[in-house]
Amino acid sequence: MSILDVNYAAILVDGLSFALPLLIIAIGGIYSERSGIVNLALEGLLGFGAFVGALFVASTAGLFAAHSDLPMYFSFLFAAIGGGMFAVIHAVLCIKFMANQVISGVVINILSVALTGFFTSTINANFFGQASERFMLQTSPRWDIPFLMDIPILGAAFTRVYPFMLIILVVATFFWYLLYKTQFGMRVRAAGDNPQALDAAGVNVSRVRFGAVVISGVLAGIGGMSFAYSISTNFSPAIYMGFGFLAIAALIFGNWKIIPTFAACLIFGLTRSAAFNLLPVFDASAAVLDLALAAPFVVTLVLLAVFGKKNMAPRALGDVYDKSKR
Amino acid sequence: MAKQDAGLSQEIILEVRNLTKRFPGIVACDNISLDIRKGEIYALLGENGAGKSTLASMIFGLYQPDEGQIYIRGQAVSIDSPNEAVALDIGMVHQHFKLVSNYTVAENIILGDEPRKKALGLFPYVDIKSAEARIEQLSRDYGLEVDPRAVIHDLGVSTQQRVEILKMLYRDAEILIFDEPTAMLTPQEIESLLQIIKNLRDQGKTVIFITHKLDEVMEVCDRCAILVRGKLVDISNTADTSPRELASKMVGRDIEFSAKRPTKGMGDTILEVEGLRVEDANGFPKVNDVSFKVHAGEIFAVAGVSGSGQTELADAIAGLAKTKKGDIKLKGHSLSKMNVRKRSEDGIAYIPEDRQSVGLVLDFCLDQNLALKSYYRKPYCKTSLLKPVAFSEHAKGLIDDFDIRCARGPKTITREMSGGNQQKAIVGREIDQGADLLIFVQPTRGLDIGAIMAIRERILDERDKGKAVLLISLELDEVMDLADTIGVMYAGQMLKVAAAADLSMNQVGEFMMGVTGNE
Amino acid sequence: MSSKKSAPQRPDQTDHLPEQSRQALHGFNKALDDATRMVVKGLGAERWQALTIPLLSILLSLLVISVVILAFGNNPLEVFSSILAGAGWFAKSNYGGGQSQLTDLINLATTLTPLLFAALGVVVALRCGLFNIGIAGQMVLAGFIATVFVGYSGMDALVARPLVLVIGVVVGALAGALIGFLKYRFNIHEVVSSIMLNNIFMYVVAYIIKLNYHDPVSRNMRAASSDARLLTDPVHLGEASARLPVGFLLAVIAAFVLWFFLTKTRQGFEMTAVGKSPKAAQYAGIKIGRTVVFAMALSGAMGGLAGVTHYLASVPSIAPNVLPSVGFDGIAVAFLGNAHPLGAVLAATLIATLSTGATYMSSIVGVRQEIAALITGMILLFTACGGYLKSWLENKKSMIADADRAAADRAAGSKGGDGA
Repeated sequence: MSILDVNYAAILVDGLSFALPLLIIAIGGIYSERSGIVNLALEGLLGFGAFVGALFVASTAGLFAAHSDLPMYFSFLFAAIGGGMFAVIHAVLCIKFMANQVISGVVINILSVALTGFFTSTINANFFGQASERFMLQTSPRWDIPFLMDIPILGAAFTRVYPFMLIILVVATFFWYLLYKTQFGMRVRAAGDNPQALDAAGVNVSRVRFGAVVISGVLAGIGGMSFAYSISTNFSPAIYMGFGFLAIAALIFGNWKIIPTFAACLIFGLTRSAAFNLLPVFDASAAVLDLALAAPFVVTLVLLAVFGKKNMAPRALGDVYDKSKR
Repeated sequence: MAKQDAGLSQEIILEVRNLTKRFPGIVACDNISLDIRKGEIYALLGENGAGKSTLASMIFGLYQPDEGQIYIRGQAVSIDSPNEAVALDIGMVHQHFKLVSNYTVAENIILGDEPRKKALGLFPYVDIKSAEARIEQLSRDYGLEVDPRAVIHDLGVSTQQRVEILKMLYRDAEILIFDEPTAMLTPQEIESLLQIIKNLRDQGKTVIFITHKLDEVMEVCDRCAILVRGKLVDISNTADTSPRELASKMVGRDIEFSAKRPTKGMGDTILEVEGLRVEDANGFPKVNDVSFKVHAGEIFAVAGVSGSGQTELADAIAGLAKTKKGDIKLKGHSLSKMNVRKRSEDGIAYIPEDRQSVGLVLDFCLDQNLALKSYYRKPYCKTSLLKPVAFSEHAKGLIDDFDIRCARGPKTITREMSGGNQQKAIVGREIDQGADLLIFVQPTRGLDIGAIMAIRERILDERDKGKAVLLISLELDEVMDLADTIGVMYAGQMLKVAAAADLSMNQVGEFMMGVTGNE
Repeated sequence: MSSKKSAPQRPDQTDHLPEQSRQALHGFNKALDDATRMVVKGLGAERWQALTIPLLSILLSLLVISVVILAFGNNPLEVFSSILAGAGWFAKSNYGGGQSQLTDLINLATTLTPLLFAALGVVVALRCGLFNIGIAGQMVLAGFIATVFVGYSGMDALVARPLVLVIGVVVGALAGALIGFLKYRFNIHEVVSSIMLNNIFMYVVAYIIKLNYHDPVSRNMRAASSDARLLTDPVHLGEASARLPVGFLLAVIAAFVLWFFLTKTRQGFEMTAVGKSPKAAQYAGIKIGRTVVFAMALSGAMGGLAGVTHYLASVPSIAPNVLPSVGFDGIAVAFLGNAHPLGAVLAATLIATLSTGATYMSSIVGVRQEIAALITGMILLFTACGGYLKSWLENKKSMIADADRAAADRAAGSKGGDGA
């Protein structure tokens, strides 16, 4: 085979199908951290969201027509709700109980793995009568986007598209707008820079931060559900592959801003899909895949070493805001 | 001195009755009653810790009184939050500005009260354009020059203060509270602020002016209430009183105005700075071509507005900031190859500006902090093993010497101590090193009068013992009171160096603003 | 001060209630007050809070888990006791061939060892204000290199085992120091570089394993020779026999040595100072960069030891493309142990007990063994609220003190005869 046989369309689409869920999770992280709350919990949030979404699909299996896509759309809704609800724990611990935010994140992750693992197998055993540690999902449909797919070269990105990619694009745009253009977004960013100023302006800092943390859960849940569809077509504890941490790396790489973070996600996604798609073409041994998969992490480290000095975390990130201490 | 009772309305806009606020261990405000007329400038005068800020904070809804009642325009109100204060047309400029550093002026002003519009009749967004227009209008109306599109961290202190004033005006505040507004300003900036405050009064606003500076009270205020240790001791018309009278009421006894103690004679050059340049992370010069000498037995005081490069200068001498160009010599030899510890051993003691995050490890015990510069040496440490007894013995000595109040002796967690005692601990530790050069940066900031006097006395004592003292202060009073030689920094440069006797306060103030050629 | 204010009775809001219920309400309030006082008295002693608060967290989480177990129709006590039995703390009803309570305890020690090392690694870094979530990567790398260079060499056990430990220390320290170096030289946050390095180590090691050291049956790395493994030859213990974990004693000793190092030595003082306030440490003349790199090297060394005691003792060999969960569990153990080396010993024992005992419990009682992870999660959840509990206790303590003083004043006042 030669360079001509490379399926560039697949590289683009696969790359995006990895980059976009990562992006939406990272945007969740950006909300939380721009509001001043460290969020190492993304991994746990995306897993719990996907668990709730998959649980919905598994428990309503008989209610929908055999090949209906409706359960899939609902699963994203429920994943968002599930992730948001789980994020409430992080919000309560960090804001109400003034816990160390790093510890809280670690707790959420451990709790998420434990809860979903325990309940997946217990529910399977007790309610569905099968010994399994996963909830099966239907295969996601893939769409070709009319007109856009006919654009030369870039058109490839619009063939065999997962529906969740469009969902994420819409949701991401919405949350970009919310963060940078609206009243709420302005307050979120102020809470992470100088909560005292926000408080003095008569805004309830805790409430703003609470909202931002819940949003991080909602978005992580959507991302987690996407990974469940694109990578495994089921929910199992295997979903905890470190994508949440990767999203954190992406958002730090993107300097806590949405557009540069998108670029970071694209680097991760495209190098990954290029590795998967190029290796067979060059008859490389399967082992080389692992080396290729390590590449984006090396690239990120090098880029951070070169450009990292200018990175500036939100000024009040990690500070417990205690109203009584002025 | 334009204060006339004639034009003053008699309408009481704000009244407080029997207001009391307690904090653990102290009564911050003790049964205070006063009334403020619409359109007057009303001073709350008192030393640090007298309760002025607490009183104002209750009026602004930051604290709730334990007892007593506040009336606005005759109505009894309970102000549970700043929001309610704003709804009652009360505004406040805090001593530490509450500004979001990476936001523009306009964004900061509208925060919390954002004008909104809908794009395509559907998507709400913050209408920054109309806000900017309104802010430009307001700043024209009140003579508050400021660019609504400038980002806060690019602005100087006095401009940031104008932003805080605009914040109140944007919310249509009628009662404006200023908490120690002149603390960080140069005399010229103070002059223009006082003019702004008079303008505000002339436009019908009521101003509550918190300060401990008598001359400011005399210049702009119509009436003043004097607070001493939480109690209201007197209310005077400024027209009918004198600074001396106010002062004695404020301190509770007659005080001597600035007891100046000149040097007993200078000795050898201890510190010599030559063409020093220090840059920030972006390569911008914070200290630019600065040269001066400090001699044994001399207090060399550096005046300048905040951010003129004083902190960087001190850090460079101590070895905490990199010297880009030029040289620093101590007792004749260059320090350029020496790190922080070597310089300290070579005879530099340094009381840094930020005592809480630089001068101390707040979570350490007092005895550990008192040995922070010497923990690695005998007797505190032998072959890598720490000797706890040596730590606590040393600490006990300093606690007695410097009257450091600490609940549990050497084992007190430093965080639990008051700011004044933390500062005494640092001063004690540094003086105890017996260094030839003592660098004091803002040594008395935020302390009460007793602690201020004690620390100033120590500085003079050390000078009289023949030490070289480099004093950096934003308080011009302090510079004028203590200095033998004054250097004025402006935008990273040493604009003027002269004997203290040859400079008037106003001249120093002009140099601080970068004005030259007035000699 | 405040005694004056609390002395006059507040207007009684219970006036409208019938006498009986009013008394009941007073009784309830009194009981509530007494209960609060008891809690405050029990937990208020700051010296013991490092112990009492985790204990309370454990108790609360067991309570919550009991409810879950009850909801699934099982007996919580049975669950807990069989977990303890499974871990070897109690005798099981019967034992398979070659097993006994003692061998169960030895198994526990074997799984506990890497967990404790991992936790110590996290603790050391935390002391210096660093969050090392790279333990997992350091484990993989150290385990891999030790297996390749010693595990296949056919060296004699007397040489091989110490060499494996040395490799663990050196490789782990280097991997850790790299994180510290990236932080201080390039300003890369240690959490980010740890995540990157975890993945890099995992994939590169997987690549080399698949290229050279693949075991086609297990699909894992070929196991190291038993002479290189950190387990002794089988020791006979009555009927049963077991291999003793070489690293266990070492891990416990390491905990004590670290505790001494952190609190009693100059380097420990410097690391703590940097952790509490880097600016103040720099001002004190401490070299921040060197301290950070050193702390991360020490942390990494613990991670490396966790790696060799994991891959060359508690599990057969390295599974490619998988990061060991022990590396992350160590974080939980470190926090549960209050970021204290000796606390980590207790916490690691607890967590290891839960995870080793759960399999047996599951086979006896039938509750899924994932419940162990759930208990761990709950304990951590409550521990995370410990800071809040502390400040709540502080608050209540001063309130009670105020109330008592007021009561004493009143009593003194009425004795004087002029009681208001």
